[in-house]
Amino acid sequence: MITLEHVSKHYGETVAVDDLSLEVAQGEVCVLIGPSGCGKTTTLRMINRLIEPTSGRILVDGHDVTSVSPEQLRRGLGYAIQSVGLFPHVTVAGNIMTVPRLLGWDRPHMQARVQELLALVGLDPAEYSDKYPRQLSGGEAQRVGVARALAADPPVLLMDEPFGAVDPLTRERLQAEFARIQKELRKSVIFVTHDVDEAIRLADRIALMRDGHLQQYDTPEALLDHPATKFVHDFMGADRALKRLGRVRVSDVMRNEVPTMQDGSGAETMAQRASCAESRFVYIVDAGGRLEGWFDCVAFREGRVARDAITSVDWREAAVRPDTSLKEALSRMLGQGFRSIAVVDGDGRLLGDVALAGIEETMTAGDAYITHAGGEPEVDV
Amino acid sequence: MALVACLALPFAVLRPNRIVAGVSHAVWSAGGFGLLLVAACLAGAVASVATLRRRGSWLLAAASAITVVLAWALGAAASTLLRGAAPFARVSIGGGAWLALAGAAVLWFAGAHGERGRWALGVSSSVATLGLLGAGAFGGLGRLSIAVEYANQGPQFWQLVGTHLAVAGTALGIAMVIGVPFGVVCARAPRVRAVVLAVVGIIQTVPSLALLGLLIVPLAALGLPGIGPLPGIIALTLYALLPIVRDTYVGLAGVDAAIVDAGRGMGMSRSQLLLRVEAPLALPLVIEGIRSAAVLVIGIAAVVAFIGVGTLGQLIFLGIGQTADDLVLLGAVPMVVLAIAADGALRLLSRALVSPGIREAAS
Ligand SMILES: Nc1ncnc2c1ncn2[C@@H]1O[C@H](COP(=O)(O)OP(=O)(O)O)[C@@H](O)[C@H]1O
Ligand SMILES: [Mg+2]
Repeated sequence: MITLEHVSKHYGETVAVDDLSLEVAQGEVCVLIGPSGCGKTTTLRMINRLIEPTSGRILVDGHDVTSVSPEQLRRGLGYAIQSVGLFPHVTVAGNIMTVPRLLGWDRPHMQARVQELLALVGLDPAEYSDKYPRQLSGGEAQRVGVARALAADPPVLLMDEPFGAVDPLTRERLQAEFARIQKELRKSVIFVTHDVDEAIRLADRIALMRDGHLQQYDTPEALLDHPATKFVHDFMGADRALKRLGRVRVSDVMRNEVPTMQDGSGAETMAQRASCAESRFVYIVDAGGRLEGWFDCVAFREGRVARDAITSVDWREAAVRPDTSLKEALSRMLGQGFRSIAVVDGDGRLLGDVALAGIEETMTAGDAYITHAGGEPEVDV
Repeated sequence: MALVACLALPFAVLRPNRIVAGVSHAVWSAGGFGLLLVAACLAGAVASVATLRRRGSWLLAAASAITVVLAWALGAAASTLLRGAAPFARVSIGGGAWLALAGAAVLWFAGAHGERGRWALGVSSSVATLGLLGAGAFGGLGRLSIAVEYANQGPQFWQLVGTHLAVAGTALGIAMVIGVPFGVVCARAPRVRAVVLAVVGIIQTVPSLALLGLLIVPLAALGLPGIGPLPGIIALTLYALLPIVRDTYVGLAGVDAAIVDAGRGMGMSRSQLLLRVEAPLALPLVIEGIRSAAVLVIGIAAVVAFIGVGTLGQLIFLGIGQTADDLVLLGAVPMVVLAIAADGALRLLSRALVSPGIREAAS
């Protein structure tokens, strides 16, 4: 548990953080969000005493952070930053062992931990242990950064825009993995971001800041449905129904039974098989069940030759994963101009699909605003 | 170009004695070896054009061939020219031969740069060394004027080399012990940095002879001698400080702030951060500073011969005083060799010590 009591930080005339009080429960993710310069980083760095507050008190698990030396404190708080800051002269394994080494773990213990953590963040230990940071892609470096922060199994994780410097597709994967890891490990996390979608997706609670002040501290649903101020309302954005989809995962609404047929049977045979299918699209998979494309029955019936009714795709681009957010799935679907999108596992095996209709259902069930079209919630300003 | 030069310029110079100007002789005076040398230079030229940047081993082979043939050709020329000459007659190395040697050196460095495998380097250097030694023992190379000067100096030559190395090495060692911590302080405290860098910068601008002169005053005040090894080593140390302090500071200042922040955020203490993160990352530049300092100090160590330290500079000053060019060379050439050797050794050290994770970025 992390508690901030009336914490302020002044830089001369500038007030970076003003009388901030905040409590993060054990095992919860608190996302600090707000416009650039609102004091998020300053707040985070006061918790591990990289910055000393001008006034106020910070407690971690009931103990004042000033009751131990800064070094000792920091070894117990995982720390991951946007620029990652991996040590370039040390291998991936060596980077992950940083804190365990400071804590004096023995070597076999550290090596076992490296294996465990690399597997946890989705990197093959045999392949990555001995690489140097410059040999990693941005996404891989971020994963190693997270593994390094988790190395000594700290109860608290402090993360400053950890996925800020990677491309959107990689960020989406990293967010999904983070959600999975957090579900497993249940750390108390303070996560800084300026990306509202990221906040909505990952947060148990969102702390929205502005000019060093806390504007609202509540669940993502509450910030979307009952914004405390006009600023909160505006910052969360007008497309709130859409934003809420960020909290639902594809696996929650996906259709598991989808018509498929094996590739290699020839276009004409496929056409015959497809003609008796009920749905418009029949997915084409290879012998291992990997998605290869689909057959458009309507296009076929409209008199096109069978070959033209087949669309071949790369599953990495044309499909989503079960842990993708619905918002992301919807935007991918619309981006490709289809009314449904395939769902595959990490190896490309077809698991099912998500249809626009299914998403619509979720929106109406969970969100009153959709049914009363155009109805904006009352906002107290 | 080296080929043309080697043909056009005098190859060897015959003088009646060691001091007066002599008569130039072309490369043909070396007889059969002369022809061979021309052939080898041709081969080198072909190799450098044909294999530009691709197979370093061919360049290395050409370079060692030119060196060996050159040595034998010079030996042959010396023997031929001295036959029937007066007993005090000397044969010096002519401009053409020097240029051929320089051409070989260029080829060798180009080859060493392009060659990834080590064996070609090793083989070509051993062949060149063996060829040189062979020419010295059997090929008449020992009859060249510079070799005669060497023989005249006898064991004293090696004593001078030893002193030269000792003086330069001691100064370099002291400069490292002082300079690296100063570099660290510079990286930590901006105010101290301005002062320290200004001071070592000013020292660097003082001409070496002037510095030796200036040192006499404070040393005398301390009751210490103004000549001899002590002031010499002090002066050399002062010169070596600038590259070491500057590069240590630049190396540390160049460490990415995010990396330092990550280290601090994970609970590293100041000293752990310095030893485990900043020092290894700054190491390539620190060694680079030591390398520049080493080359600088080996050069300036010649000057301290003026205050009675027996370095290779003594031969140069003696040679100038006696207008014996080959004596000057006997002092200068080994100095160049020492500087190149120190340079190479420190490069190797850098390769061995710097983490593979940052090696490419550093060079
Ligand atoms: N070392 C500093 N000196 C002076 N002002 C600072 C310093 N660090 C941060 N600030 C100011 O404090 C405010 C909050 O900064 P920061 O916490 O980094 O914002 P955020 O992370 O939300 O973008 C900004 O106005 C910034 O200019
Ligand atoms: Mg920030």
